[in-house]
Amino acid sequence: MNRAIYLLIALTIFGALGVGISAQGDYADGTEISLLQWSHFVPRYDEWFDAYAAEWGEANGVGVSVDHVNFTELFSTLAAEIDAGDGHTIVEVLFSPASFIDGLHDLGDINAAAAEAHGERASTCQAASYLPVVDTYYAYTHGYVPDPGDYDIALWTEAGYPEGPKTWDDLLKGGRAIYESSGIPVGIGMSPELDSRMANRAAIWSFGGSVQDENENVVLNSEETIAAVKYLAQLQNEAMTDEVFGWTAASNNQGLIAGELSYILNSNSAYRSLQKIDEAAAANIGFTSALAGPAGAWASSHVWQIYVIPKYVEGDELAAAKQFILDHTANYSDATYYSELYNFPCYASAVPELDGWLEEDPWGSMPPNKFEVLKTVNDWSVHLGFPGVTNPAISQVFAESIIPNMTAKVALGELSAEEAVAQAHERVEEIFNEWRARGMVGGGDM
Amino acid sequence: MTRLALPAFPLDNRRFVGLLFLAPALLYILLLVGFPFLLAIAFGFSDVTVGNTDLNFVGLQNYLAVWENDIFRQVFETTIRFTLISQIFILIFANILAIIFTQDFTGKWFARFIFILPWATPVSLAMIGWLWMLDTKYSPIDYLLLQTGFLGPNGILSNNRNLFWLATPDLSQISVIFVQVWRMTPLATVILMAGLSSIPTDILDQAEVDGSRFMRTLLQIKLPLILPIMVIALLFSMITMFGDMTVVYVLTRGGPVDYTRVLGLYSFQVGIEGGNLAQGAAISLFAFPLLLAMAIFMLRTASRAEVQ
Repeated sequence: MNRAIYLLIALTIFGALGVGISAQGDYADGTEISLLQWSHFVPRYDEWFDAYAAEWGEANGVGVSVDHVNFTELFSTLAAEIDAGDGHTIVEVLFSPASFIDGLHDLGDINAAAAEAHGERASTCQAASYLPVVDTYYAYTHGYVPDPGDYDIALWTEAGYPEGPKTWDDLLKGGRAIYESSGIPVGIGMSPELDSRMANRAAIWSFGGSVQDENENVVLNSEETIAAVKYLAQLQNEAMTDEVFGWTAASNNQGLIAGELSYILNSNSAYRSLQKIDEAAAANIGFTSALAGPAGAWASSHVWQIYVIPKYVEGDELAAAKQFILDHTANYSDATYYSELYNFPCYASAVPELDGWLEEDPWGSMPPNKFEVLKTVNDWSVHLGFPGVTNPAISQVFAESIIPNMTAKVALGELSAEEAVAQAHERVEEIFNEWRARGMVGGGDM
Repeated sequence: MTRLALPAFPLDNRRFVGLLFLAPALLYILLLVGFPFLLAIAFGFSDVTVGNTDLNFVGLQNYLAVWENDIFRQVFETTIRFTLISQIFILIFANILAIIFTQDFTGKWFARFIFILPWATPVSLAMIGWLWMLDTKYSPIDYLLLQTGFLGPNGILSNNRNLFWLATPDLSQISVIFVQVWRMTPLATVILMAGLSSIPTDILDQAEVDGSRFMRTLLQIKLPLILPIMVIALLFSMITMFGDMTVVYVLTRGGPVDYTRVLGLYSFQVGIEGGNLAQGAAISLFAFPLLLAMAIFMLRTASRAEVQ
């Protein structure tokens, strides 16, 4: 089906729902919306999106402009625009903007409309846009990016794991054997950067620990977290080099592409880059689902594509923005396709072709079913606040890199796991108490 | 003969002209320094977040919370340590280079041009260059050391193929201090060169006639005479570095662990990335009393040296 038909279906559905959102062509003359979003990792996605946005604008009689910036600038720009009371109509951020909630429109209506139209949403998306303590949808999450394990097939086959490691224990045993025999280390970051923050959480969750419980109480200091931190320190000492303490977000990509890391946790970005450089080397990269630990198999989603509308947006501009967001979801097949399967849909039903694409990659992977492991992604891909929601305190804990710094201290031999976890717990409690006092985090005495 | 009284022309009034000339600088300071500074103070005493900048007064709550935060205390100590160590090296190198660049030699202008580049290059661009130079895996410095037998199996420095410049506690701190010295030395040098050039030549001629040798002229005439300017150069450099976050933001993001995290970066991480704008403002303002005391002390020192 071409995108015009999708657009037509979407508009019909949302018009019939009568959710208070303006129908096509209802906007006053001169209505304009502007979007700010990241320069997508896949340039092809931006090309598609810009053309789609222009086409949508033409069909709806709305002027649409799109600005792309580096993802690190999104939060600071959103903060500045909210403070100034003027700026873009829609801003797309990649991590939960829960701390911006007072400056954002409640998007409960379009979340409800999308649920009505597309059914069940991935839990990782729900938790990155809804704050239960104030019962508000401060955002609309349209997509997320899986964070599977990427492994060197030849190295892991030689180590006795032809399908890559399945558990954290496999990672330690196989990764250590590979490091000892070839000098090629495992690549789980322990640095103050995005990928390290998520990889360390994955291990903690899989060992049964977490920063908070489902009721937003801090539970970091637990036997399970301590066991996970001890494990990570052992993994670093026996299967990795010190480079992981100084990594940037691109370091694990670079290492895998250069054939100098045996296993990393990442989106498909490193693989797609390699595919464009060296197809044979790319064929040697395999993917695993979340590694299992004593308490389960969990991994953080890599990023989330989250739309917010600041409160300074009003009238027809607001109505058009909401319609744009819903129509974009209705066209998510294109979004997933042109992102080279980087963007996964929050609403699986919006991309009925996805399972087929995972069985036969439309972007030429060898073997074609390389991404088949991602068919189960919704069973193991969670969000930063898991098992609670991603609230402002969780975002600040993330921003301060408390978790990777905690594990790095143990791996460097500066503190015992018990001391490092207790120290981190204390700081996390402080952060939670501050946000709780503002009424933006549940749990505690509330 | 009676002189005709001309109508008063505003530009004849020295006081008015003085104010007129000062106006752009005053306006700049008020709008781009004064206003944000006052806003930061207001934020520090409130509970603002990135999503809500309504000023609800909470007293000293943020400052007390920040002071009780162990990470902050480490960050504060790191900032002071980095600044002081860097200044020692900047002062030494700037003095040596200022003396060299005020001598006559072939290619002096080109050498000066090359030397000023670190200061003239946009800091973020320069840091991306250093990020590559000090990369944990693909550092060209490591490559040279590897090729010359300093790294690698049986290497003189390490058996590893890399030194992990930005990943080990010691080397990451040394790297950050080195890059700050590289970046700040040109400015201090230019200021000192201006000072050296302003020394009256008759004093230097007299010293030469009296048989004063290079070191004696330097230590007993030149350095005492440029001391006030040296203090100003130091003050500029210290304040710039104390508030800087770009170098560590690009190179290490404060890591490994918290070894290179400085006040500016921590304030940004808490206030903007973490959304806790009030506490981010409080963190940044902790530097203010210290910088103010330093500035007063150094300016008074400079003033006294000038009088003597």
